[in-house]
Amino acid sequence: MHVPGWHKATEKLQAEGKLQMVGIIQEQHPDRARLFMQWKKMGWPILIDSLDLLGVSVVPITLALDEYGIIRLVNPPLKDSGRLEDDFLNRSFEKPAGFPAAKVIRPDLARLKTGAKRGNAGDWLAYADALIMWGEPGRISEAIAAYGEALRLAPEHASTYFRLGVAYRKRYDSSDRQDGDFQNAVEHWSRALEIDPNNYIWRRRIQQYGPRLDKPYPFYDWVPVAREEIQARGETPMALTVEPGGAEFAKPLKIFESAATDTKEPDPSGRVIRDTGKFISVDRTVVPPVVSQGASARVHLIFRPNSKNKAHWNNEAEDLVLCIRPPNGWLVDRRHVTIPNPKTPVSQEPREIQFELRCPQDAAPGAVTIPAYALYYVCEDVNGTCLYRRKDLRLQVQVRKPSG
Amino acid sequence: MLGSVGMKTRAFVCLVGLACANTSVCAGTANPFPSPGFEIGKPFPDLILPSLADGRPISLSQFRGQKVLLHIFASW
Repeated sequence: MHVPGWHKATEKLQAEGKLQMVGIIQEQHPDRARLFMQWKKMGWPILIDSLDLLGVSVVPITLALDEYGIIRLVNPPLKDSGRLEDDFLNRSFEKPAGFPAAKVIRPDLARLKTGAKRGNAGDWLAYADALIMWGEPGRISEAIAAYGEALRLAPEHASTYFRLGVAYRKRYDSSDRQDGDFQNAVEHWSRALEIDPNNYIWRRRIQQYGPRLDKPYPFYDWVPVAREEIQARGETPMALTVEPGGAEFAKPLKIFESAATDTKEPDPSGRVIRDTGKFISVDRTVVPPVVSQGASARVHLIFRPNSKNKAHWNNEAEDLVLCIRPPNGWLVDRRHVTIPNPKTPVSQEPREIQFELRCPQDAAPGAVTIPAYALYYVCEDVNGTCLYRRKDLRLQVQVRKPSG
Repeated sequence: MLGSVGMKTRAFVCLVGLACANTSVCAGTANPFPSPGFEIGKPFPDLILPSLADGRPISLSQFRGQKVLLHIFASW
């Protein structure tokens, strides 16, 4: 890989103090990069730029910066790393005139808030960015509102949509999660990309959760390998706040793999009593939010026991089953999905199912409903009852109007 | 409209005590430098960002006096 290759090629120079390695990452979940650095035994400093304030549209980029922070080489070739010494390390560079020393301080949020209230889009944007980077975990909603103000004043600013998407996904991963946060993230990333389709960083953020046909390669398939190797060294792998899975592991596909249609439905006549939300709620996200004719989308479903009723899974009964019944012409990669119960008799964890669907070439533009239902055993502590329930899901997918 | 965003983003950068010498970066527009857009001979922008190690503010300017090989990358 590119960066570990550079690390290895320059280890001696680093050890001799002739070269300082530094990294900047744009990932939504930066702690994954921390695990990566541990795995590859790279201990140098990394700056987190999940909002892509730097404005790069592709990675990787390698830059050689002189003692004054001036760019001296752009993307020097790794296979000829000796040139780094000739063209950079062994050269002396002149100090630029009037080059000020920078102060590295945490921005003053109260001052930025006062500035934002002057009503300028850029001030709202700066305030929102600072809240995401430096605010307490509970202030993501405030940042989302501030990005909203920035967009109200500058509705075509693509980067603001991207940053707002980052904020929604951040809240989705937090204890302040609200219904639709993940879908909102995907929709705002998609809007950013519509305005500027050439930004690879933004495209990758959607691909991370999107259908396999759209992926150039898997994203985080290295994580289990890294953990295994780190443990084999006798170290404890760095913890991750959000476990990668599903779309983030899925390998790319060349053609859509459709599931067989002759499987037997578990509740064909709908006789199982419905759970209307008392026990389990379901968070739904479709990626991309608007699918083109003939293209595919990935659906993310998270089943969460209702904490108000102290609902929990009954794991001594049958597993959770999802049954998808696509309308005519629509294909799915799986019609029945089962989540095996954990070994504990009861549990309250969220359960995630992802599947992919393919839109027919002749689909009419607009909203399409994909019917599905889940069957599960659930208990609630309030009245001490355990029941078998069915949850009907009417999944909404938007079909794009063909251009031209 | 975008111009006004850019102006104020630049103001923010200066407000937090940065020397923002690359206006294309500070402008904060949708795609200020489609790669490779970093110019040889220009300063690298002094964005203050959280450190992956401990979340504290960190900037490339802290490495002045050393020759730096900077990688803008992702673990995927």
